[in-house]
Amino acid sequence: MNFNLFSLIHGNFLIILVLYGAGMIIPFFFPRQPRFQNLIAHGAAIAASTAGVVLGVLGLFADSPPVFYSLSTLPLLSIQFRLDTLSSFFILVISLSGVPVSLYATGYVREFEGRYPMGVLGSLYNAFLLSMILVIMADNGFLFLILWEVMSLVSYFLVVTEHEKAESRYAGFFYFVMTHVGTAFIMICFLLFYQENGSFNFEAFRSSGLVMPQAIQALVFLTALVGFGTKAGIVPLHVWLPYAHPAAPSHVSALMSGVMIKTAIYGLIRVYFDFLGGQFPWWWGFTILVVGAVSALLGVMYALMEHDLKSLLAYHSVENIGIILLGIGAGMIFQSYGLSHLAALGLLAGLYHTINHAMFKGLLFLGAGSLLYSTHTRNMEEYGGLVRHMPWTAFFFLIGAVSISGLPPGNGFVSEWLIFQSLFLSFQIPDLLMKIFLPIGAAMLALTGALAMACFAKAFGISFLAMPRSHHAKQAVEVSLVMRIGMGIMAAYCVILGLATMWIIPLLDRVITPFTHISIAEKVISGRGWTIEPMGVTFASVSTPLLALVIVFLILATLLLSLLLGGWLRKRFYKTWGCGLNLKPRNEYTSTGFSQPIRQVFSTIYRPTVKLETEMMAESRYFAKRMRFELTFQPVFQKYLYDPVVRFFLAVADRFRVIQAGSLHLYLSYIFLTLVALLLWTTL
Amino acid sequence: MAHSDIGSQLVNICSMLLLVTTFAIVSQRRLSACVDLFALQSVFLAVTAALVAFLTGIHHIYVAALLTIVIKAIIIPLILKRVIERLNVTRELVLNINIPASLLICGGLVILALSVTQPIKELGFLLTKDSLAISLAIILIGFFTMISRRKAVTQVVGFLVVENGIFLGATAAAYGMPLIVELGVFFDVLVAALIIGIFTHRLQDTFDSVDVSKLTGMKE
Repeated sequence: MNFNLFSLIHGNFLIILVLYGAGMIIPFFFPRQPRFQNLIAHGAAIAASTAGVVLGVLGLFADSPPVFYSLSTLPLLSIQFRLDTLSSFFILVISLSGVPVSLYATGYVREFEGRYPMGVLGSLYNAFLLSMILVIMADNGFLFLILWEVMSLVSYFLVVTEHEKAESRYAGFFYFVMTHVGTAFIMICFLLFYQENGSFNFEAFRSSGLVMPQAIQALVFLTALVGFGTKAGIVPLHVWLPYAHPAAPSHVSALMSGVMIKTAIYGLIRVYFDFLGGQFPWWWGFTILVVGAVSALLGVMYALMEHDLKSLLAYHSVENIGIILLGIGAGMIFQSYGLSHLAALGLLAGLYHTINHAMFKGLLFLGAGSLLYSTHTRNMEEYGGLVRHMPWTAFFFLIGAVSISGLPPGNGFVSEWLIFQSLFLSFQIPDLLMKIFLPIGAAMLALTGALAMACFAKAFGISFLAMPRSHHAKQAVEVSLVMRIGMGIMAAYCVILGLATMWIIPLLDRVITPFTHISIAEKVISGRGWTIEPMGVTFASVSTPLLALVIVFLILATLLLSLLLGGWLRKRFYKTWGCGLNLKPRNEYTSTGFSQPIRQVFSTIYRPTVKLETEMMAESRYFAKRMRFELTFQPVFQKYLYDPVVRFFLAVADRFRVIQAGSLHLYLSYIFLTLVALLLWTTL
Repeated sequence: MAHSDIGSQLVNICSMLLLVTTFAIVSQRRLSACVDLFALQSVFLAVTAALVAFLTGIHHIYVAALLTIVIKAIIIPLILKRVIERLNVTRELVLNINIPASLLICGGLVILALSVTQPIKELGFLLTKDSLAISLAIILIGFFTMISRRKAVTQVVGFLVVENGIFLGATAAAYGMPLIVELGVFFDVLVAALIIGIFTHRLQDTFDSVDVSKLTGMKE
């Protein structure tokens, strides 16, 4: 490869290391100046993320993946990083979100000044970003696991930032346990590769992946799915997300939900398409597809029932990971049947949704953070009317909501459309079972999209429209300029990713070409470059820029028509008609009320328990004096999956407590006697 | 050949001296004498390492030898002496097993170590191959010291003896570990000695004694 490009990439990598390192260390030199610590830490993160964007772009255009730092002082562990196109893509995702999120953070953490040590917060934030970038670049299984652990631990400490709250500690503990269960499975997966030829280098994994016995390959597939799936938040391993993401400071939630869970997607693609060489039986892709469909649907359904805005967004992460997996799963199925064009399309759609989700989910979490910052509550039932106090936040949140609901011109539309197409194209598979199942996946995706739209109609409507429901909402003021700029950049990403499809698809094509050995960019983008048509114009095609133009045109035309037909705008301000009653915030549609029809339809899944206590007036039993309404859902997964496991382990631990007498000598004797017994056994 | 024969004999003598000091530690009742014996043992260890370095020409073992002198023969004994002085526990040790019985068991452990390493010795070609049995014996005896003694300070000494045995084993079986590993181990040992020193203080504060069997009361 070009030597200059290599040294450029190498230099860039060093700059990133130094900048993040500076952001991690320098704040501690100024313990008395939290404001300065804040600027230094997040300033370094902004600079490092900008360098990361450059690194990602350079990596995409490198001819062969540059490898650097083959340091090895310990057996098995070689400190080696590699930047192939897949890594470059994920670094781009991390760094592109890193810039606006860090900018936003400079404003957001003002709230924490004086309450929490700013140096620690800023330092951990930099460590978090750096660890994610290094995980993506690690080229050795051992190194990967170490960095993966660092990433998990740093994010754990960020989750428990507000450690005086019992709720944060519980969330942190839950996350801690779950992520370690996941890591254990990833370890098993890597050990399976290791025992094949005794090396932890990814290069060795690649060669051993191809010659593994089928049973071992299947085991690798399952352990990777569970291990990475725990981090990604697939159902039923998703239970930690709605606890951990809301508990973390909002800029961290944006990164955790938008970016960190994507490292799991990276891991899955790395293992399946790279190590195992993309050769798999049909049931692998099918499993991924089913997991994806279930995650997408259940994720959005639980999101609909949430009143905590950040928990709602966390459930949407489950949904979107599901959608990404639908794309990847479809790609894997096509790969098994040798339809490499379609396989590339599915994978490309999955990756497109990965970057899209990072951006709109990041944006929405920043928006939720702004609401939290101004109103000091995450409960949607206490919002309302915020569009008047916080117009910018409302506007950016709306862009995020449009994007996540998969409406044009938002970016979610393009990737979901591509995933739909790849699912519809299943009629090319020679297997009847797949011909039936993939369209079912498409139907579930359609239902997911519709429910997501309902959910964001609720989230936006309840939060921003109508009258303020609480004192907090009345007092809310727009957030500071840096926070608005941070959200603005994120919103711009969403729009650009939605419109500039003809430039983004070739880039994504570069990412997947090394794994699918086929380039589909020219087939997908039509001749003039304005339309995408996966299978030629006869099947389906769409042009997002034109679509956006049509939308703008329609809006203008509607305005114009109404002006022409109805005359110039006459404004008359009057109260909303309320059947003669005085309308108060209590008359508003609540979040619970809004989701009631859906709760009714899917009551078998939600299993709601409604408790209604009515206190009648003393004079007549027809007039209620006070009513208490309580709604709880049965936590199905906790009750039927997690609780039995926990009970089992507690019971076993109880048995084993007998040998834990608490005497140091006894413990030492155990070890000593075991050692002597083993030595004797070898000599006999 | 004669050169390496003499060398091998010297290494054997030095490692035997290590074993002798280990037995001395087991038979010693006074704490400060235990610490002195440990320092002496560390000096022998350093001499062994330096000999191996000289005979094989592997230079980084010199560094390890120097570190052994500095950390194990000087710094750690000083720390332990200070702990003993401050806690005023110079007197007698309360033993779980009396000294003659301990010595007998230790003798048994040496025989076990010799018989376990016999097959390895036959395959070996290094001039230090005989030291492997001795190092294993020292590890086992050190471990046994930790079990049979009740004062926290003697437990530290036992732990450090185990460490010395491992170090001797590494030098004997493989002409030392990579330098980075050795540096890490030295650091670990130093930190462990410090932590256990502090821990002993806390023990004294809480229970008015450095008898670790009182820790049982902390259960639940």
